[in-house]
Amino acid sequence: MANKALTRTDNPTASSPTPAVAMTRRGLLGISLGAAAAFALAACGSESGASAAGGRITWAWQLPTTWDPVTSSAGSDVQMLALVYEGITGLDEKGNPVPWLAEKWTYDPAGTQVTFTLKKDLRFSDGTPLDATAVAKSIERGRTADGSLIAPQMIGITTVTASGDLDVVLDLAEVDYQIPALFAGKTGMVVNPAAFEKDPASLATAPAGSGPFSLTTFVENDHAELVKNSHFQLAEDIQVDEFHLYPQPDPATAVASVQSGQYNVARISGAQVEQAEQAGLDVQILDSMFVSCLDVHAGMKPFDDPAVVEALKYGIDREKIKKVANFDIGDVNYQPFPKGYVGYNPELEGIYDYDPEKAKQVLAEAGHTGTVKGEFTSAQPVAAVELIQAQLKEVGIELTIKSIPATQHTQLVYIEHSQALTYDGFAGRESPVQAFQVLFGKEGLMNPGRRTDPALEAQLKKVRATPTDDPAYPAILQEATKIAITSFPNTFLYNAPRIIVRKKVSELPASPSLQRFEGVTTS
Amino acid sequence: MRTLKALWAQPASRFAFAILSVIAFLVVFGGAVAPYDPLRQFSDEVLQGPSAKHLLGTDYVGRDVLSRLLAGTRLSVVGALEAVVIAAVLGVPSGLASAWMGRIGEWVSLRIADTLIILPFTVFAIAVAGTIGNGLQQAMVAVGVLISPMFFRVTRAVALGLRRTQYVEAAELMGATQWWTLRKHIWSKVLPNVAVAAAQATGASLLVVASLSFLGIGVQPPTPTWGGMLSADLGYLAQQSWAPIFPALLMMATVGSLNILADGIRDAGSPRRRRPGLVARLHRKETIDVAA
Repeated sequence: MANKALTRTDNPTASSPTPAVAMTRRGLLGISLGAAAAFALAACGSESGASAAGGRITWAWQLPTTWDPVTSSAGSDVQMLALVYEGITGLDEKGNPVPWLAEKWTYDPAGTQVTFTLKKDLRFSDGTPLDATAVAKSIERGRTADGSLIAPQMIGITTVTASGDLDVVLDLAEVDYQIPALFAGKTGMVVNPAAFEKDPASLATAPAGSGPFSLTTFVENDHAELVKNSHFQLAEDIQVDEFHLYPQPDPATAVASVQSGQYNVARISGAQVEQAEQAGLDVQILDSMFVSCLDVHAGMKPFDDPAVVEALKYGIDREKIKKVANFDIGDVNYQPFPKGYVGYNPELEGIYDYDPEKAKQVLAEAGHTGTVKGEFTSAQPVAAVELIQAQLKEVGIELTIKSIPATQHTQLVYIEHSQALTYDGFAGRESPVQAFQVLFGKEGLMNPGRRTDPALEAQLKKVRATPTDDPAYPAILQEATKIAITSFPNTFLYNAPRIIVRKKVSELPASPSLQRFEGVTTS
Repeated sequence: MRTLKALWAQPASRFAFAILSVIAFLVVFGGAVAPYDPLRQFSDEVLQGPSAKHLLGTDYVGRDVLSRLLAGTRLSVVGALEAVVIAAVLGVPSGLASAWMGRIGEWVSLRIADTLIILPFTVFAIAVAGTIGNGLQQAMVAVGVLISPMFFRVTRAVALGLRRTQYVEAAELMGATQWWTLRKHIWSKVLPNVAVAAAQATGASLLVVASLSFLGIGVQPPTPTWGGMLSADLGYLAQQSWAPIFPALLMMATVGSLNILADGIRDAGSPRRRRPGLVARLHRKETIDVAA
């Protein structure tokens, strides 16, 4: 064979088509088998999920109401906004504030001034420096901009100033150690001043932040296309080049849409888990702050009677609801914080365990001899609503289900507070005090009766006045939880984790607050 | 009576009658013949397949599907009929009147009908439910208003033709009032056409009622309706992929039967359609004679 090869080399101009290596039948077979084996190995490699940098996450999740954190009107927007913005702080798994854009923060001894010290060399996605001046301007805009929906949360901040390139100093009207936690969410998301000083309205469709991705295309109510932001502080940990965001698909088609490759990640409900697993897709259950609950209007009949509210709390079999409505995924809960969260009070475990006899007794003792009638509002017909209706009927509370269009839910429930009882869900807030304000505050969205409790107000004042790293802080916060749960009509049912289905996308990092994408790869 | 006899003579119409009789029975007695209370939740038997205890299985909160189907017939069908009655009440008198009204009245009534025709059923019903409240009555009023141009146009077309007939003109020349003419000469001719329109409209509105229930408008849960059941079943396809078949079959059978009946009424009431039978008989006789 070597001779023949040499012959060819010796006579390069030879016109003979005979190859230098004579291709015997066996040789051809060997090469074919080798090539086939190589292709097969390569194919196996890609099927087995070998990951590589690059690729695209196409997530059927949700589109935000706006890309401007200052005017965003939905609590759940924070997840989508975190793709393009970064908070000044972050949260750990217990809900405690941790450094993010700020590497540290310090309070003065009186607790009325807090200084955030930024990390060095931070940049917005357009490459401009993200320094103390930019952060101060961004916070100031959140406090003062027309139509700002985060301004009420910053009412205690009197002045915001930049000190040097890295320090942002906030003066507070009164002691408030909750500011770092508050800045882990929309309130602390830093918007590039270059964008809002030029055209603030443009932020609704063209966000300008420093998050892991930058928006390139946004088609309202349809989809958003984002690309990796090379200026992101953890850019080397972002393994995908593109992120396409779509609204959540219809439950009936969610799994099929991932299976077909239309999306490679989608949120699903408990009912679709089995289908997804049968389809060979990866199902991941991620802890979340979401708790399913009932908004009870204590100023409307029949819930203006505390006995009816008490009977309501005892008359619901939460375990059954979780089992039937969410296919046993999640944890029964009687409070707004998930187990393990700093505000979770273990004393409240089982406080309103299902006890239909007690519910009947409470009603009887209050003089309700007949059936108590009322309305039960829901934005969509869900199994939980029908289960609750049936369970309460057993104890003597007969509710008529009233479905309202999802588009009217916010207006009727959160703004007009015109519904006596509403099936709802609380997505959690970065600061526990903020969560209390939403659920139990005088202006709280999910406090339809607009009634508050002086004992809770006093306890929340103590919470604000206690540094989050103070050993006494958890106990003080948990006492506030106890006061709220025992004195307010809001009824909590169960924590519902996020269930996602993936195809050729690696496992997502677990994080109860914001979903992170560092280290996520596609294959 | 002659029309009814002609209708009964058609096998397809008899078949449609049979199905609609069953549906009518269920409308009246569906709840009574259901094996279980349609609202009863067997909470330990959620999403079960067909069994001796539950012939069509159980739904997402453990209710007996057969019982819900049977009990849900009433609201599904009555809702559709309600819309048709509203449509007929609005459309038939106005259709008759427009044939006798002056040009301005005619133009205005036609433009109103045109406007209503272009409004999409579902979107309009959603808008009405959003404005005046979510309930079956509100939704049916909306659907009835939108179906009414169908009755208006059918009635008007027949009345216009009859308006120019010699016997109507003769009656008018002899001093008959418009009311007398309408009652004696027009109404009996218009009625079969209205019946055809009503049968078609019932089928159409049944589907609209189902679509609205599907979207959560109209009948509120847990009250069973075919559309509501279909909608709920779609959320649990992974567990019960066959479940939507049952309400869908009932809807299909009812709407199909109504359409067959509408065709039958049209054929039975049309002299031109009846005549081919006679011609065919004569033709057959002629053929036999030639052959002989």
